[in-house]
Amino acid sequence: MGDLVFFLILLGMGYGVGTWTEKRHYRSIMEREEQLLHLPAITAKKVELDNSKVERAVLVVGSAVISVDYFKRLLAGLRNIFGGTVKSYETLLDRARREALLRMKEKAHGASMIINVRIETSTIGKRAFKGKLGSIEAIAYGTAIKMNS
Amino acid sequence: MRFIPRQSSGNVNVTKTSAIREFLILAGSLLAIILILYLILGFVIEMVIPHLSPRLEQAMAVNLLPRIVGSETDEAKSRELQPLLDRLQEHCTKLPYHCTIKVSPSPQINALALPGGTILIFSGLLDRVASENELAFVLGHEMGHFAHRDHLRGLGRGLVFMAISTALFGPHSQINKLAARFLNLTELSFSRRQETSADHFALEVLHCAYGHVGGALTFFEKLAASEHSRYNKISFFSSHPLYPERLHELQAYSRQHGFGSGKLTPLPDDL
Repeated sequence: MGDLVFFLILLGMGYGVGTWTEKRHYRSIMEREEQLLHLPAITAKKVELDNSKVERAVLVVGSAVISVDYFKRLLAGLRNIFGGTVKSYETLLDRARREALLRMKEKAHGASMIINVRIETSTIGKRAFKGKLGSIEAIAYGTAIKMNS
Repeated sequence: MRFIPRQSSGNVNVTKTSAIREFLILAGSLLAIILILYLILGFVIEMVIPHLSPRLEQAMAVNLLPRIVGSETDEAKSRELQPLLDRLQEHCTKLPYHCTIKVSPSPQINALALPGGTILIFSGLLDRVASENELAFVLGHEMGHFAHRDHLRGLGRGLVFMAISTALFGPHSQINKLAARFLNLTELSFSRRQETSADHFALEVLHCAYGHVGGALTFFEKLAASEHSRYNKISFFSSHPLYPERLHELQAYSRQHGFGSGKLTPLPDDL
């Protein structure tokens, strides 16, 4: 009985707190995306530029580690039995990728553009070694180009 | 090519969905599947039990018994009672087991038939037994459960449930530990039909061993009287319910087979 109560508390807390932090994070992501909209980050390797006007080109990296709450982990576990789209992990990955891109852009403060942008994802944490999902890390990197003013 | 920065509206990477609804659907269907499997395997167990060899049962018992019996058994009393059980089993039954008796020091008025041929008898019941005949009736009743393999039926479904949860979630998962709690091995419940046929078996044993069935009815009457006067619930009746028909059934069966009553054999002095 004690186990069951503990399990239900974890489940309820996971759902409540998880939903609340997710909403808050999305609000922050939208705001910052709007603010950094002026800085293009593109995947093209080469862009036509007048080389004499390029002042600096540097590597910029942004990374974010995000964990999934207890409720969503259980939901994904249930989904693993039946198969199908694991919807409960979608926001996790979406948030991690967008947060990493934002941090990369914040790192490239003053640049005119970021080219050759790549995003990579990996699972980390103790559970990751047992083939289970613990937290995920998204890392975004690219070349920031600063032009002569 | 001109690059125009623009915030995209909406998010294709995240499905708009209600997590609670998805959870209820998934958990509900999982429960339904487990329930269906449980019912099906319940029938399978019914079919399998008659073919289960006593040897396999003994192998199962190795893991199960310590959980039920515990370490506290009264070895001296157990040894004292074993000859009576051996005599009853040898001369009056054809059980595929070698039954052993274990006395547990507990005020419970109860006796249990456990997998592998072990009869667990609580000292609370021993204290209330006045003659060897009464004790023989209790032992005969439990041997009746062995003969009809009722003790496995009570256990079977619980084991099936454990097997399902182990297969789905692994042996060390929380859910499996939770399932193990539902498997209360000491509260095997038997149906009326099973109790009645175990009673018949006990009467046959009594008649074979003593030439009469005296003691069988007195024991029940005594327990029933003490149930009304002192205890609200006596566990021998909760796992072996005493319904009004049971006494009549015993009397009817005795009359039908010409089993009379006779002189009671006293208990050995040590008990």
